[in-house]
Amino acid sequence: MTTHPTTTSPIRAACAAILSLGALAAAVPASAQSGDTFKLGIIAPMSGPNARYGAFANKGAALAAAEINAAGGLLGKKVQLVSGDSQCVPAEGVAATQRMISLEKTPIIIGDVCSSVTLAMQPLVEESKVLLVNAASSNPDITYKAGVGGFKWTFRNYPTDEVRAATVLEYASKTKGFKKFAVLSVDSDYGRGAIKFTKRYLPKYEGAEILSEDYYKDSETDFRSVLSKIRRSGAQAIFLYGQADTTPIIARQMLELGLAGKVALVGNGEFNTKETIAAAPKVMNGAVEAAAWLPEVPAPRSLKFVEDYKKANGGEMPNNHAYTHYDTVQLIAQAVKSANSLKGEDVRNALARIKYESPMGTVVFDDHNQAVMPMVLLEITDGKPEIKGMIATKVDYSAAAAAAK
Amino acid sequence: MGSFLLEQIVNGIITGSVYALVAAGMTMIFGVLRAINFAHGEYYMLGTFAAWWVMTKLSADYSLAIVGGVLIVSLIAVLIGRTVMQRLIGQPFQAGVLATLGLSLILQNIVILAFGGGYKVFNGGWIEPIELGDFGMSQQRVILVVVTLAVFAGLEWMVRSTRLGRSIRAVSQNIECCQVNGIDVEQVVRKTFLIGVAIAALSGILTGPINVSIYGGMGESITLKTFAVIVMGGMGNVRGTLIAGCLLGVIESLVAGFIGLQYRDSVGFVVLLLMLMLRPHGLFSSKARF
Repeated sequence: MTTHPTTTSPIRAACAAILSLGALAAAVPASAQSGDTFKLGIIAPMSGPNARYGAFANKGAALAAAEINAAGGLLGKKVQLVSGDSQCVPAEGVAATQRMISLEKTPIIIGDVCSSVTLAMQPLVEESKVLLVNAASSNPDITYKAGVGGFKWTFRNYPTDEVRAATVLEYASKTKGFKKFAVLSVDSDYGRGAIKFTKRYLPKYEGAEILSEDYYKDSETDFRSVLSKIRRSGAQAIFLYGQADTTPIIARQMLELGLAGKVALVGNGEFNTKETIAAAPKVMNGAVEAAAWLPEVPAPRSLKFVEDYKKANGGEMPNNHAYTHYDTVQLIAQAVKSANSLKGEDVRNALARIKYESPMGTVVFDDHNQAVMPMVLLEITDGKPEIKGMIATKVDYSAAAAAAK
Repeated sequence: MGSFLLEQIVNGIITGSVYALVAAGMTMIFGVLRAINFAHGEYYMLGTFAAWWVMTKLSADYSLAIVGGVLIVSLIAVLIGRTVMQRLIGQPFQAGVLATLGLSLILQNIVILAFGGGYKVFNGGWIEPIELGDFGMSQQRVILVVVTLAVFAGLEWMVRSTRLGRSIRAVSQNIECCQVNGIDVEQVVRKTFLIGVAIAALSGILTGPINVSIYGGMGESITLKTFAVIVMGGMGNVRGTLIAGCLLGVIESLVAGFIGLQYRDSVGFVVLLLMLMLRPHGLFSSKARF
């Protein structure tokens, strides 16, 4: 094809530009390391079906970093966030973590949102002696494997699904009086983990039974077949531990199948956001969720976070992950100050002993490096989330081991 | 049990009609270009986004958004048809793979760049349930099936009875002969591409109210399912596509309803493998093209 001879020169120019950018990027880590900045890593899904989690996580962390820097930084150094994309895929998350550790040399990494990725990152940070502070994964195995369980370099500043599953089950059985349940959760370590622990505690409630069990892929949009099955099974409630963006699809299709008001959603998956409720208000009324945080939490510092976040991000409402990443950066900052060091090992030791006042309440870590922190139990009433109680996410490991037998 | 089976079959036909609509365009484009359009799911996604944009930014209602969405995506199709697709005539298949895969990435990322990577809520549509004896479904789904049948009837008529249809059939049989006989092959390719893309966009807009959450990467999974449909239907066979699409939808529904939702996505790939192993020319006669 000789009809477009002019196209070659822009391509060459672009290639040259890309090459020089690459050289620039390669030069950055070496020079920034010696400067007055402290690099804090964040691994989160920035692309793919879970990209919005990563966007919220990074914006929340950026707000915390800006606050810390405005107040003089950490031990005289400015906090600089470096971000890696996990795509919510374990292999991608591990690759991004490896790049971050070897190129950026971050002593501390916050990550990931998706449990499957966090589980894959744990052995890697252990080997590299990099401190991993998780701010958004809830699979119970993450902390079963941490602290006295093995991995010394993993901490989790987020509720574990063990407590979440037990609390939701308790409320659904005792307060709501449900006995017949169906399972419809996301097919991941998060969704399956939550159900594993729900089943572990189910025998405590007389007559409670699970009638059907289904897991969906995170790009699934057609739930009619499985919802038809659930409707015919006579289930009173669905254990839904799902992705935030799928909840409106399920709710809308439940409305279609005439399940509104007949079958309740219980579990977790951003049931409380305005958008989700608006997708099918009749279905969402009566939904029960245990969440790490929601914008309606009446604590003054939490409300201030919502205001500051909205101001910094063009009026966008923060979600759960924005808050937990904001909070985790603040937690790390306090640990750095009490350790009076930016070294991963010193900060790790400080975290184990820390008593941190988060906007939600006091946070301490148990011997599995799991945060014992407040979590919110809520029910959607008249189209609005109503807080039904605060739960301390304290795991009784010996009782849990007994229940597992 | 009987009514549960019936309900799952109905569910499957509804899902399948979306597959069939998207696959119809893909199979026609394959017919004239001998190239798999890896970007086809993106036009489905673009349609949904265009309609969403018309509704939220221009605050138009859904029926207007259907028209507006199809128009916007058709304009994009005219542009891509001229700049990319018509140049694939007579090129080796690798060129088609690279060009359409590249387009897929570009289109997805333009949408993510313009509207952000997060999900958007697609409001609008006719989502109130209709009770059909034992089970309910939204009006939107009924519309979807009716439109699918109408589109396929229209395609059938177009392919059999119009000059464009005859030239599409001719081009899909032998490009050189068409060129010798004075058929403007480039124009036929452009028009076929435009029709295929417009149908994909329409199916995206019609499923928007049911799927609610829309995002830049939503076209990928539909492209993958479409492969199974066009292979089942016979590459280039429009009528076969309708039956194959509905068949895939029904099998998926039965698997999700009787075995488990987690196995649903494997159906398409198992079907694809079986077809390629046992009947690579499709379920129907290899002579049945158009």
